[in-house]
Amino acid sequence: MKFLGWKQIILALAGFGLIIGALIVAKAVPSEALSQVIEKALTRPAGWRNIIKEATPLLLLGCSVFLALKVGLFNIGADGQFVMGACGAVIVALNVSGPATIPLSILAGVLGGALWALPVGLIKAYRGGHEVITTIMLNNIAGYFTFYLVSGPLKDPTSQQPSTASIPATVQLAHIYQDKAFTINSSIIFAIICVFALWWYLKKTVGGYEISATGENANVARFAGINVNQLIVRTMSASGAIAGLAGALQVLAFEHRFYGHFSPGYGFDALGVALLAGGNPLAILASGTLFGTIAESTSVLSRTGVPKGLSYILLGVLVIVFAAYRYRKEAQRGTDS
Amino acid sequence: MKGITKNFGTVVALDSVNLTVKVGHIHAIVGENGAGKTTLMKILYGAHPATEGEYDLNGTKHSFKNPEAAIRSGVGMVSQHYAIIPELTCLQNLILGAEPGRIINENQSIARADQLATQMGFAFDWNQTAAELSPGQAQKLEILKLLWRNATILILDEPTAMLAPEDAELLYAKLHELTQSGATVLVVTHRLPDVMEHCDEVTVLRGGKLIHSGPVNETNPTELAEKMIGLSIKEHTPTPSTPGNPILEVKNITIKGEKGEDAVKSASFDLKSGELVGIAGVDGNGQRELFHALMGLKPASGQLQLEDKDISNYSTQQRIQAGLRLVAEDRHEEAVIESWTIAENAILGLQRTPGIRAKQPALAKAATELFPTKFDHIHQPFKDLSGGNQQKVVVARTLQLDPKVILAFQPTRGIDLYVADLVYQGLIKAAREGATVLVVSFDLDELMTYCDRILVMNHGILKEVPTNLRNDRQAIGRMMVGADS
Repeated sequence: MKFLGWKQIILALAGFGLIIGALIVAKAVPSEALSQVIEKALTRPAGWRNIIKEATPLLLLGCSVFLALKVGLFNIGADGQFVMGACGAVIVALNVSGPATIPLSILAGVLGGALWALPVGLIKAYRGGHEVITTIMLNNIAGYFTFYLVSGPLKDPTSQQPSTASIPATVQLAHIYQDKAFTINSSIIFAIICVFALWWYLKKTVGGYEISATGENANVARFAGINVNQLIVRTMSASGAIAGLAGALQVLAFEHRFYGHFSPGYGFDALGVALLAGGNPLAILASGTLFGTIAESTSVLSRTGVPKGLSYILLGVLVIVFAAYRYRKEAQRGTDS
Repeated sequence: MKGITKNFGTVVALDSVNLTVKVGHIHAIVGENGAGKTTLMKILYGAHPATEGEYDLNGTKHSFKNPEAAIRSGVGMVSQHYAIIPELTCLQNLILGAEPGRIINENQSIARADQLATQMGFAFDWNQTAAELSPGQAQKLEILKLLWRNATILILDEPTAMLAPEDAELLYAKLHELTQSGATVLVVTHRLPDVMEHCDEVTVLRGGKLIHSGPVNETNPTELAEKMIGLSIKEHTPTPSTPGNPILEVKNITIKGEKGEDAVKSASFDLKSGELVGIAGVDGNGQRELFHALMGLKPASGQLQLEDKDISNYSTQQRIQAGLRLVAEDRHEEAVIESWTIAENAILGLQRTPGIRAKQPALAKAATELFPTKFDHIHQPFKDLSGGNQQKVVVARTLQLDPKVILAFQPTRGIDLYVADLVYQGLIKAAREGATVLVVSFDLDELMTYCDRILVMNHGILKEVPTNLRNDRQAIGRMMVGADS
């Protein structure tokens, strides 16, 4: 099986044509835009730093969405779980002192995300409520609830914005590498470990086997002695826990405080990351980095006047091309059997 | 059909097959699994394109690109897997894709549906959702779908596999009536008694080649069987069983059905080590509920004792670990995950057994070798196997890793006589080695041939066939319909 046939190449070219067309509409010179991206985002240490920074939450949230997808659930709510995790982590980081603050803060983030996903699993398993509906609603609740918190109870009195105070430098996650503008924060290690752990769990353990079985055919799973309802609740909570971890790390490593409208939509980009990874969890490393690179590239371009929305066009094209390719294969297989 | 050849990749499924079917006949296509019966029919029906060859219909050349084109020319097929949408009502299923107009006049549609049903001797509640239909009823609905579309050539793939003997008789009687009004029926089957009794012509396929074609009254079952498998089958001679201690004791088990009725009414029986026990009965009399309850998939009142343990409150997984195994009725929706490989499916259900991952390839290999299975390698998707081969692997899987109680629901569904015999031999061997086997089958002959004891289920009441009536087909048949008292 070839990965690229001429049809895929045409699709890819059409995608690039679309982007170049969009650049022209935005009154930018495509070649200039490209050289800007290469110069400022792809070949500059500060660009690399930003790519890694963007990729960290995307990798983790990609894992979160991927895991839920494996058990057959579409976790649109990773964004809300991310926000709740970040908020939980900030509360602990600001109020608990001592050597265990960082782990406790991370734990709070994990718990916040898991608890935010728990009702989704319960409603799905025992009442049949669709997870897409419940997660979208919980996203909004998470957004407004935390906005209320940072506008009132948690607000830093000295700040003009709805924001908490900054967490002390001692509970900020350290950089593992620093060379002038190029820094790598230790949180990326968590993200990479998370991807490998997810791969290991899904491929090598009974738990992962049961998750895959349930995702493929829940009724067959029931006949194989799998407690499907319980598994859905557990997996959804675990998915939320990973999203919460991403939120906690975002606070401890990069933002150092929590503010209103905390997520720029990482949870939704993560859907693309997970879908683009296809069936292989390790591919999240590639798709997450790609999404991070595109995010950084558009942010560079936005400084030259090209609207940020362009990145959504590019991501949209990517996901559609990939989905078209992937599901075309499945459709063909379907008629053969 | 002339010179039909069909290749799937490098596999030659059909090799220059010529077939002539006369109008107004019931024509049987018989052969083993993988002989190409279904493939040949699917080519005729437009579901697969032929690699080579052509077919004429009433003198004009045709080549249907898809089933829709076939049905427009009056060719319709009921495949082994029904195309019923469970969420829709029976009526909606019936007319789906062949609605009488843009606006559906429900009363008119029901009137015509009733007329067709009466013509075939079926009865349907048209507003019932199709999910509630038993497989037997679903099949009847499928046949009506063809009639609704004015099909004059009906292709039926294993039509009696899911039916009780009387229903099968009735179906054939109605098919005869249809042929008298000008319809032509092609029946794919491996049940030779059906062929001898009800069909006009018979065609034998073996390994994708046409072996024999001619009128039924010029041949006999032994000859057909030999042509099908290429060698003669031995008549099964039951070995006497020496039942040991009871392994599974079922006491006063009552199970609620879908509609809250008592699907199984206070059933009690025990299964002893070393024996193969059959449950005879017409489909839908509580067999399904009983098996699901025994596996812990359905709540039940009463007591279940496995050797000296009370397992009434065990979960399905605990029951599997304790030694219960199920050959599920519906392969696709209950037994295997079709998109998975053979190896991945080999441990399904037993995934919690310690160390099973390491044994997975060996188990998968053993499961394909127990009964002769056609496959390429254990890492190929399960759905690439033919139906019969899938069933062989499913049955073989339950015989692995020391089963204590094997519950087999229609274990030979869709597999031919020769392999069915092997499957029963396998079940009997497991029993003689100390396990106990309980089989549900809608084929009474099969149960009478192989089982040590026979229980009968009728309207949720379970009775044992007295020893003196063990070989009395008529008496057991009466018990099956509750006409014994």
